[in-house]
Amino acid sequence: MTLARDTSFAYAVGRIRALETRLLDRSKLERMIDAASADEAIKILAETDYGSAVAELAAVHDFEEILQREMALTLAELEKMSPQKDLIALMRLRYDVLNLKILLKAKYLQVKAELLLPLGTVPLSTLQAMVDEERFRDLPGPLRSALDRIMEEFPLTRDPQMIDLALDRVLFEQLMAEAARLQSPFLKGLFARQIDLINLKTFIRVKRMERDRDFFKKAVLPGGRLPLDRLISLFDEPLDALHGQLSRTDYATLIEEGVRGWMEKGSSALLEKLADDYITTYLQRGKRSAFGPEPLIGYLWAKEIEVKNIRLILVGKINKLSADAIRERLRDVYL
Amino acid sequence: MEGIVLALLGVALAVGLSGIGSAIGVGLVGESAAGLVTEDPDKFGQTLLLQALPMTQGIYGLLTGLVIMINLGIFTGEVASLTVTEGLSMLMASLPVALVGFLSAIAQGRAAAAGIGLIAKRPEEMGKAITFAVMVETFAVFSVLVSLLLLLFM
Repeated sequence: MTLARDTSFAYAVGRIRALETRLLDRSKLERMIDAASADEAIKILAETDYGSAVAELAAVHDFEEILQREMALTLAELEKMSPQKDLIALMRLRYDVLNLKILLKAKYLQVKAELLLPLGTVPLSTLQAMVDEERFRDLPGPLRSALDRIMEEFPLTRDPQMIDLALDRVLFEQLMAEAARLQSPFLKGLFARQIDLINLKTFIRVKRMERDRDFFKKAVLPGGRLPLDRLISLFDEPLDALHGQLSRTDYATLIEEGVRGWMEKGSSALLEKLADDYITTYLQRGKRSAFGPEPLIGYLWAKEIEVKNIRLILVGKINKLSADAIRERLRDVYL
Repeated sequence: MEGIVLALLGVALAVGLSGIGSAIGVGLVGESAAGLVTEDPDKFGQTLLLQALPMTQGIYGLLTGLVIMINLGIFTGEVASLTVTEGLSMLMASLPVALVGFLSAIAQGRAAAAGIGLIAKRPEEMGKAITFAVMVETFAVFSVLVSLLLLLFM
């Protein structure tokens, strides 16, 4: 089955165009950043589309609930308006994997499962039951076999990172396979870019952990636009070689600024921001297409970034971070 | 007498193809407009104007079909007797509006549906959204002009 004809998205795109006008723009976010306190920032949020949800809010600290509900609503609406349901289900897959990672780590490391997001294709309670009983029969094939493998190997290695790596790998294999099945160069481009960004982050993380090349080889994901053997061969060279080699790709500024920020400040925050901005730039083509799935996927991403930005600002405000510190991490808006 | 069958085929193509094109075009803009109006019911009037644009091709086809029918004397009750060459000429004359009408209506529908996105964000720029879609009209006008000139002066 291939992707539906581009004009079959006409209704959905018409709705998206109206919904886009209600996204928070940069000036609204700036006003929230400049607010005197978290309470003041919430008041500004109340003037927007989040108004009715904010009105029901008992305490500032519960804002996470609003954000989760907003994402759940967005996904449900997109699913309803999309001429192709499996397109949005595909975008939900990431949340299933995220939840599985949290649940598995909670199970093995005997900690409480926190930050679960009820946004995946499988309800949280079902996932929880699956992990408890170690039976993954109802999940799609590749994911199931990856989980079975984790169940076998984890007790031997006891390395929680292995869970992340194995699940990320199977997630992107699945996403790339779906993009190929739908014959969508746009989706393939999106997932390939996301794979590249994950690989670049892994590259630096593994280097900072001072692990060897073989470890990196196992951690890196196939299917990106950057050739894997090139990345792997760069691994034994100093970090400067990475931006030297990739200076002609469109990851150049991201690597230069992001990696420098990571090395100097010891925090990946700037790189994470630049990686998100990079995907935003790619998906902004959705603003210009009158048909096809691009506007839907673009809007979904715009909402994810919006929610991320609101969270950044409110957490910053609650922790009394300076406006500049918040602004530094603020993602570019889709608009 | 066989000529008349060819002339009637001309009527069918002129009215049929341009009509199908208009139906697809108007339908497409309608879908887009329904999406916008779902979120913003106040924009109904503006979207309706855009939706009407791809209708004209169907009207040009209808006009061409009627001219052929008048030439044949269908409305007077005395249907003319045509040679194959005469009938074929009428069929040929119908082709410009049939083909260009069909494709330009769909193209205009796409442009107008994109215009729906434009007025969603900038309702004050509706004139521009209409202008973009109306550009496509030029070619539909050329084709109906040639079809009618052929029928009237041949």
